[in-house]
Amino acid sequence: MGMIDRVEVPRKVCPVIILADKSISMDGLPIGSENAAIEGILPELASMNKENPDAFIKFALMEFSTGVNWKTGIDGLVDPAEYKWVDLVADGATSFGLACKELNNKLSVSHGFMKQASGSMSPVIILISDGEPTDSYSVALAELKKNNWFKVAAKIAIGYGKANDKVLEEFTGNPETVIHTNDVQELKNLIKFVAITSSMVVSTGQATKSNTDTNADPDDTTSVVADALKQAQAALSDATDPGEEW
Amino acid sequence: MADIQTSIRKNQKIKLLNGQTVTVTGKIGEGGQGIVYRVKVDGTNEEKAMKWYFMYKINDPKSFCSNLADNVATGSPSETFVWPEQLTEVTNGSFGYIMEIIPDRYKALSKYLQARVSFKSCSAMVTAAINIVEAFQQLINKGYSFQDINDGSFKIDPTTGDVLICDCDNVVSFGKASGISGKARYKAPEVVRGDTLPNKVTDRYSLAVILFLLLVGNHPLEGARSNVPCMTGKYERRFYGQEPVFMFDEQLDVNRPVPGLHRNAIALWPCYPDFIRKAFIRSFSQDSLLRSEGRLIEQEWLMLLVRLKSCIVRCMNCGCEYFAESTIATACPDCMAYNTPPGYLRFDKKRTNVEITIPIADGAKLYEAELDERSKDYNTVSAEILVKPGKYGLKNLSKSVWEITAPGGKTVKKAPGEVAVLGTGFRIDFGNGVTAEIVANSR
Repeated sequence: MGMIDRVEVPRKVCPVIILADKSISMDGLPIGSENAAIEGILPELASMNKENPDAFIKFALMEFSTGVNWKTGIDGLVDPAEYKWVDLVADGATSFGLACKELNNKLSVSHGFMKQASGSMSPVIILISDGEPTDSYSVALAELKKNNWFKVAAKIAIGYGKANDKVLEEFTGNPETVIHTNDVQELKNLIKFVAITSSMVVSTGQATKSNTDTNADPDDTTSVVADALKQAQAALSDATDPGEEW
Repeated sequence: MADIQTSIRKNQKIKLLNGQTVTVTGKIGEGGQGIVYRVKVDGTNEEKAMKWYFMYKINDPKSFCSNLADNVATGSPSETFVWPEQLTEVTNGSFGYIMEIIPDRYKALSKYLQARVSFKSCSAMVTAAINIVEAFQQLINKGYSFQDINDGSFKIDPTTGDVLICDCDNVVSFGKASGISGKARYKAPEVVRGDTLPNKVTDRYSLAVILFLLLVGNHPLEGARSNVPCMTGKYERRFYGQEPVFMFDEQLDVNRPVPGLHRNAIALWPCYPDFIRKAFIRSFSQDSLLRSEGRLIEQEWLMLLVRLKSCIVRCMNCGCEYFAESTIATACPDCMAYNTPPGYLRFDKKRTNVEITIPIADGAKLYEAELDERSKDYNTVSAEILVKPGKYGLKNLSKSVWEITAPGGKTVKKAPGEVAVLGTGFRIDFGNGVTAEIVANSR
């Protein structure tokens, strides 16, 4: 190795995990919006990875209906630039409890997705749902809430249509990171906006509230993302003609 | 993501506060704080860059804007800084400023850290380090603090080591807060702990981090101990603020680089001369990290770095560039052959408390600031070591006539362009108050 030869400075992995409801009530336009939005954020996440020397975003997508399935595979988090997108197909019920249980399993270094040589940053976990849970979720969610990765994660939920925002709030632990819409076009915009904003805030190291407030809990990543989302939403509503943008 | 965070359109006209208008012609890039557009100044057709803020990223827009206006009025400390030239009027709830466009030959430091760009020579790398320190010095001399210093702040030409400093909108006078929360990895521990706002002393810590990343290729505080499964906010505070430990701390070995992970540091740290390793050990000592003491001032870094540049020689075995020690054998980092110079130049006076010795080896160069006490020029070559079978010479590339005195008392003068043969015990008076002696190494 010569004096000017280098290997990359190790980057922490920033896990971005999306839990996507694909129950039959999502059939039609909602699942189409969900697919388009999630597929659309992958190149954005890949582009952030090119620019950010501090963190490397890796991605996992869980689809849940009657059962759960990791669309991105069970081997772990994947590089968003390398993942080959396959659309979600709506069917079945809304087994939210099962999704919580499976997420809890995978938020683990020893038997889950979280073993990374250079370590991780706090995960970003995004839940998208359009209806009431059809299973008994309380025990699974309570267990998930004991998971240390879950505790420090930035948790955001997007509710569509008949989603029960109280349940989503139980999941995020913060009403400010539960966003609801009844508009299918807005659902697509929201998913993209929430995923990109929260991934950027966490992966660029802006998620430590102690940066600006030394009395704040430095591990309350969710509230920092809540602030960013709140402030960014004004800018979002400004963009009325997407045809004019580039 | 531009479409969801701003409402600037192509061909949109934006008014500047000085009455001129610019037309947006394209997008250059995007950062944490906003988007940079390519614009044309109406009337002159001059191309400029325009930074446009995400307003929600600014804690206190009013004071941020007023600080920017002050900086526009005061002007840039030097050409190295891509300085705000004119503010725009507030448009669609946000605002920005125009500045020069950065030429393509400059690459972001973040790309070097990702090993996507590498320096073309050791000399370019050390020149970049010198240019960064000089820029800091100019900033500090003007009473400014660079609060958001990080890898995104520097753009470097990999061939020449020329540096441009960007993100100058976050520069504020000492004692003020810019409203930008910087990255913990680059902030001084006392700033991470919340003990103080950024100031001259905290900026000096950040400078040392940048220099370590540039030269050694890893973060000084990231080693075995800080390699936790999840870098939560609490851990970030601990490793960069409350309990920071340098990976090569002389007393504490808990945070050593991890094989396979911190590969640059493991390979390159032993290849730097002792005086550079000591400078980093001092910069990241517990005194520095916990009590803000002992950090190097810019002038010390400049003399150390120019001395480092003078130590760049070619390996006699493989021809690879490396940094030679004056008095001991140094391993070539490429072929691992050990080379010992036959001797060295020992300068009589310390400079800014830095002792200067230069190895006598093929390719070693001396720079104007080393041969002239009044000079601040760290790039112009004033002397070069030459080799012929059986002898070494020093070519006078300066503007002064040198006087060389042999131990027997014989004196000769060497004008610019002439070569002085180097013999043991010779003394050279370079003029301008700088003298050195040729010392042989025992073989």
